[in-house]
Amino acid sequence: MDNNRIFRRVGVILALFLLTISIGVPLLLIFWQSVYPDGQWDWMAPIRTITGHHLSGVLLNSVWLGICVVAVTTLLALPLAWMMAKTRMGEHRWVDVILMIPFMTPPYIGSMGWILFMQKGGYLQQWVPSSAGWSELFFSFWGMVLIMSLHLFPFLYLLLRDALIRIGGNLEEAGAVHGARAGYRFRRIILPLLLSSYGMGIMLVFVKTIAEFGTPATFGRKIGYYVMTSEIHKYISSWPIDFGKATSLASVLLSVCLVMWYMQSAMSRKFTYRLVGGKGQRSKRYSLRGGAGWLCGVYLAILLILSIGIPYFSIIAASTMKLRGSGIAFDNLTLDHYKELLSWGSVSMKAIGNSLGLSLAASTVAVIIGTGFALAIGRSSSFMQRVIDLFSLLPNTVPGIVMVVGLILFWNSPWMPVTLYNTYGMVVLTYVVLFLPYTVQYVKSSFTQIDGTLFQAGQVFGGKPLYILRRILIPLILPGMLAGWMMTFTIATRELVGSLLILPPSMQTSATYIFAQFEQGQVSLGMAMAVVTVGMTVLMLLGIELLNSKRKWNAS
Amino acid sequence: MLGMNTRKKSAMLLLTAVMSISLFGCSTGNTTTGNAAQPAGEGNTAAAAETTKPAGGKLVLYSAGPQKLADNIVSGFTDKTGIEVEMFQGTTGKILARMEAEKSNPVADVVILASLPSAQALKADGLTMPYPDAANADKLNKDWSDAEGNYFSSSASALGIVYNTKLVSTPPTSWAELATPAWKDAVNIPDPTLSGSALDFITGYLSANGEKGWDLLSAYKANGVAMAGANQEALDPVITGAKSIVAAGVDYMAYSSKAKGEPLDIVYPEEGTVISPRPAAILKSSPNVENAKAFIDYLLSDEAQKLVADAYLIPGREDIEATNRANVKDIPQLKVDWNWMSEHGEETAARFSETFK
Repeated sequence: MDNNRIFRRVGVILALFLLTISIGVPLLLIFWQSVYPDGQWDWMAPIRTITGHHLSGVLLNSVWLGICVVAVTTLLALPLAWMMAKTRMGEHRWVDVILMIPFMTPPYIGSMGWILFMQKGGYLQQWVPSSAGWSELFFSFWGMVLIMSLHLFPFLYLLLRDALIRIGGNLEEAGAVHGARAGYRFRRIILPLLLSSYGMGIMLVFVKTIAEFGTPATFGRKIGYYVMTSEIHKYISSWPIDFGKATSLASVLLSVCLVMWYMQSAMSRKFTYRLVGGKGQRSKRYSLRGGAGWLCGVYLAILLILSIGIPYFSIIAASTMKLRGSGIAFDNLTLDHYKELLSWGSVSMKAIGNSLGLSLAASTVAVIIGTGFALAIGRSSSFMQRVIDLFSLLPNTVPGIVMVVGLILFWNSPWMPVTLYNTYGMVVLTYVVLFLPYTVQYVKSSFTQIDGTLFQAGQVFGGKPLYILRRILIPLILPGMLAGWMMTFTIATRELVGSLLILPPSMQTSATYIFAQFEQGQVSLGMAMAVVTVGMTVLMLLGIELLNSKRKWNAS
Repeated sequence: MLGMNTRKKSAMLLLTAVMSISLFGCSTGNTTTGNAAQPAGEGNTAAAAETTKPAGGKLVLYSAGPQKLADNIVSGFTDKTGIEVEMFQGTTGKILARMEAEKSNPVADVVILASLPSAQALKADGLTMPYPDAANADKLNKDWSDAEGNYFSSSASALGIVYNTKLVSTPPTSWAELATPAWKDAVNIPDPTLSGSALDFITGYLSANGEKGWDLLSAYKANGVAMAGANQEALDPVITGAKSIVAAGVDYMAYSSKAKGEPLDIVYPEEGTVISPRPAAILKSSPNVENAKAFIDYLLSDEAQKLVADAYLIPGREDIEATNRANVKDIPQLKVDWNWMSEHGEETAARFSETFK
């Protein structure tokens, strides 16, 4: 027992140290810059910025967008999570990988796909000229909510599905034995047990939405809907540069997210139950026959068409066009862009190589560190643990670009003995910091639901801490680790905002390559790169899924 | 009770730890920033005295504008001098943001921007290093470059009315025409906070027309002109046919798309337009000064100026003409005041965004 406590204490201290240098200090430097603009101490600077720039309207825009996206992602993800956890449809494991595609697609590419499809003279109108009215309906606030929800719902879905699987069938059966009807069972058994995962999921969706930059920059600008991130980005990347204002706005955004975090963690502490006990679990899967089966199938099909079909139709169409001004026609098709892209030794191939290498390195490091953090946080019972929880979540609540600027200020400062800036290591560090919250959240979510009696059982039978770790803990949190690893890998391969600022000169990743092509007017080449990189990631994930299919965890 | 205590204690501990780290970090940071420039400067002059001719080594270039052109210039320069170039390619805004983030530990030697006022601002902030002896500098267009050699505009582009030839049969010939009902909801204008050239057009138009220049811009807004991102982002919907026209579109993009076969063309309105120079400057913090000077010399050489012309840009040297596009003498120009434009850029961009939001 003492051994264990020392183990934990050391873990907590190590985690705090790592978090301080990788997240705490860079963010403090940002705040420092916001009250110390032009080399003069000015406490009022952030307050002036906030009052003087119609900020309240923009802030409300952000929050309202976040709320609506949370509502729509819930509508999309909850039924699907239930189907995949409780019915025979769950045996189609490929669905999980396919559903990662929207999340792997860079948000600005997904929005571009929708814009190309729906705009005046777009792909839809080239087929169905009478659809002009839809275009106007679509280019509105609700169109933006739909695009963002379709991008983010897989994330909530994965969390909910895992939670539903963990809940298992016994508890529900117990309810049924005691005569509870389906509706009552859902309300009194499933819902409360689901609440902690759901809270975590919607908090992350909310935060992702209000910290998202790609869709507001492409779609939001078109419909005149401005949010906090577009304002921050404006101050940080267009002339005249004003880090002071950007950081002031960022601190407001951060505060909103912290309030969300506090609410979520309070709720989660109240509604966390130990579900993975030693008794083994069976979950009952309903076989779907007749109408119900059809309904589920149709639901899945519509979801796939909206989230993948339409955007990818546009992306692929745009990537195979000779002349973009000529529209969809057979004599306008070409594969030249792919040939140019995939010619050996080209800039684009180097960019792909860089992306893969960086993402592999970053996701592996992130899983190791993130798992450590998640275990140190444990059930967030002590104050220190909650501090770690908060800190490890920060990168997800600060807009990426702000976090990155903080990292640069820190790792490029003259008083640092080693300047990591402008090296490969800096890129890996940035990715790890940016995506650490995923691993931490996933592992934490599986860890908090393990019943402590399992470890006690291990100890009773004489298991040493390392043995317990290896034979009990790791196997039980492995799905969380794997999910975190996959998430980090897939997002790192498309990370853009940070890469634009921290990549050493002359080094490109696939995302900055795509962005550069758009900037240069080579939209087709950029779209081809998007198809290739997302395609590669999907194949890789399918491979992992195949390797993994033998390992059945907690399934019937 | 015990729990309370440990909790309080650990909170205090954390607070002091964080504060001491931040104070230590910032105070040392500030004292060294001021000093850091000097030893670096000395090192440079020492190096400059020893080696008069650049022998290999490297150069870090931050470049805005067409990537193909930058790639060609870089490879031509490396072939000639043996100097390896590390290049960061982005928009003017991104480059300035990167420079700001690197302020305490700069790595760039040379920047090429797409907007003259930004270069003037760099000079005013004392970030540029004058190089009055640059070869061929005397042949440059005087209005576009700094007399003291702080920046050299090696290329320029003119702003015009770019239109989709499938949708527009008789293109408008004046800026005022775009405010007429014929073009309602069919026009894009680039965002001046993202596009240096669009800002040059707007401030240039205002400097020539005074406060009543805003009448045209308000009429644009009333006619449904949409503010649409940087240059390429404003042009794309015109290529695909979602919009018909870009007002104040960059001409070299139109020429190169047209050469590819896209249904695009450009007119320069009769009231005159603004030509937006693209300045290159050596940074005072440059660790490779000699190589940077050699690069500026190369930018102004016949060879590089020919590459500029091939990229559909206007060469910066007055003695070289482009054959694939309208040259300076063919383009009606507004009487603009660059000093006024530099001074009022920020407020104009802000007022424009407010109007068009």
